[in-house]
Amino acid sequence: MSSFSGLTNALAALNAQRYGLDVTGQNISNASTPGYTRQRAEFGEVAPAAGVPSLYATQRGASGVTVTGTTRMNDPVLDSRVRAEHGKNGQTQTAATALSGVETLIDEPSDNGLAAQLSDFWKSWSAMANNPGGDANGLSARNVVLQKGATVAASLNATSGALDRLTQSASDQLNQTVVDVNDAANSLAKLNGAIAVASATGAPTNALADQRDALLLQLADNAGATASLAGDGQVTVTLGGQTLVNGTTATAVAVTSAHQLTVGGAAAGPAGGAAQGLVDAISTVLPGYSAQLDSVAAALSSTVNGAMAAGYDLAGNAGTPFFSGTTAGTISVALSDPTKLAASGVAGGNLDASNASAVANFGTLAGGADGVYQSFVSGLASSVQSASQQATVQSSVTASVDAQAQSVSGVSLDEETTSLLTFQRSYQAASRVLTTVDDTLDTLINRTGRVGL
Amino acid sequence: MRVTEGSAVYSSLAGLQSTASRLAALQSQLSSGRQITKPSDSPTGTSQALGLRAELTRVDQYGNNATDAIGWMTTTDSTLSSAVTQLQSVRSLVLQGLNTAMGTPTSNNALAQQVDQLRASMLSLSNATYQGRPIFGGTTAGAVAFDSTGNYVGDTGTVTRTVGPSTTVDINNSGTDVFGPDGGNVFSVLSDISAKLRSDPSTLTSSLQDLDTAMTRMSSQQALSGAVYQRVQVAQTVNATNTLQLKSQLSNLQDIDLASMAVQVSTADAAYQASLATTAKIRQTSLLDYLR
Repeated sequence: MSSFSGLTNALAALNAQRYGLDVTGQNISNASTPGYTRQRAEFGEVAPAAGVPSLYATQRGASGVTVTGTTRMNDPVLDSRVRAEHGKNGQTQTAATALSGVETLIDEPSDNGLAAQLSDFWKSWSAMANNPGGDANGLSARNVVLQKGATVAASLNATSGALDRLTQSASDQLNQTVVDVNDAANSLAKLNGAIAVASATGAPTNALADQRDALLLQLADNAGATASLAGDGQVTVTLGGQTLVNGTTATAVAVTSAHQLTVGGAAAGPAGGAAQGLVDAISTVLPGYSAQLDSVAAALSSTVNGAMAAGYDLAGNAGTPFFSGTTAGTISVALSDPTKLAASGVAGGNLDASNASAVANFGTLAGGADGVYQSFVSGLASSVQSASQQATVQSSVTASVDAQAQSVSGVSLDEETTSLLTFQRSYQAASRVLTTVDDTLDTLINRTGRVGL
Repeated sequence: MRVTEGSAVYSSLAGLQSTASRLAALQSQLSSGRQITKPSDSPTGTSQALGLRAELTRVDQYGNNATDAIGWMTTTDSTLSSAVTQLQSVRSLVLQGLNTAMGTPTSNNALAQQVDQLRASMLSLSNATYQGRPIFGGTTAGAVAFDSTGNYVGDTGTVTRTVGPSTTVDINNSGTDVFGPDGGNVFSVLSDISAKLRSDPSTLTSSLQDLDTAMTRMSSQQALSGAVYQRVQVAQTVNATNTLQLKSQLSNLQDIDLASMAVQVSTADAAYQASLATTAKIRQTSLLDYLR
């Protein structure tokens, strides 16, 4: 055992404590950095070299401390659960948002919604039945019917147009999401390369790993991508069964004209994330509601036109269609002359109003526009309700796994302060060891042989 | 579980957001006065509310129709009353004419002239209108029910008003039912009387019979109209009751209970303030406060 080993020992301790202080400082600096994972300096006792048996080997000296590494304090299993929940969360939130978008177009129940407009329309037919003539009263009653019909048609047109715009904006959003996914995938591929190089050269990879995990979380949120980590810190990312990132290669994601996600041209299965929510909205949800609105328009047009054909106008001629167009987007009032309204159910120019009275009762007609619209609204309402409940549940599940992950990887200032104290005191003690060894050597070197002097 | 500054902030924030959103939802209900501000607030409630609203609009129109029917039938009733009164005047003139002991050709001529006047007035009564339509003309598009010669020019169509769900009433009395069929109608009876007064008043006995027939016909039509009038009035009462019931149902369904809502809002507000207060106090102190 060397006389100076104590000094070396103390030096190693000083270095180690300083390193510990550095890591603690890093944790404190990044306490509020998003995506930062706390680090811990790992120390190890230096084992004496298993040397050749020696005469002096009976006294095994302490060899000090060494820094064995810096651990990134995360839980990979928990991280992967966080990603899975974020993927589901992205999908449910997007689905709920798309549905509430449709709901805001339907101003029900109110005095101004389509249901009220339809009721007013039927009411105007009844008023016309009271006054079917060609005098001022009769003509104004007839004009009201035309106007109420035009209001209903305009309302259907507007809602249909708004649904189309919702679809378009969801489609734009999907394209933007795909751009983000591709950016993240490319960055991940580069990071994979950097991490491989760093771990091969023994350079620290913790900061790179933080960036990697942030990107993986973004990919999960956006597209529900899943990841598997290799031993060297490289990650393989899969999207709907297709490999998105492998090593330093990222495969491009695209959207087909049928709003299907493809990875490198191969169709990706349903994966989750905002992208899946948007794909569902564009390909099934929004077109479904468009079709239901169209069936309201079709029911309205067919019932009213059918009744018109069965009746006779003021001049006694057979009625002509009231509405043209059978979809919500195209329906419009075909008549402009109020005398052409077929109020009469009897041929010949008379003031019979049986046909108008019959139309006035169409509000309760089985399969009529009112019924179709009501079932559209209540179906939509149930879907919105269940989607927003799912979104609420999923968001609290996501928040709770986030909190769990945060409790593993987040920085606790109390803990770091305690570490600071420990390292500071250890540093002070190591200095004292150094001084003591120095004093001891001083006694040996300067005082030896001076007995009696 | 290890608690860090970050996780404490996350959970406080989540708590804050959930209490704030609950408060916002309650306040939106309170300020709009509605439990259902959008369909998803209550899918079944929305569906029921849509049905009730449509029903209310229909009942409202039934009310309008009934009012219109009442107007039409009031016109009919007063017209028929006048017509009956006039026929009674004619009857007394005829009785005067029959009293040949008193009669001179001049006085009979004067009686005949009065009958002619009454006939003209009867013709104008027969063409009485409601909102421009001759009430005894059926569904004719023309302006009159009887032409100047007293022939019926209306049609046999019926005028109906829907005054309740599946309650449709015929509100018109056909001209031929009220005034008699062409050839034997009240106008030809009156012309006949006028002619007889001028030529031979003694033949008026049979005319008296005709006159009575016409009066009976008219009175029975008035009674018929009165019965329909009553039906419409009953329908009006039913509609008024229905309107009240529907409105109260709709209100139960979509309006808030102010008292309970006020309590809920103040509870939610207290919860929100409590979470604000705790959030403000999270980790105000740390180990650093105790180290020198």
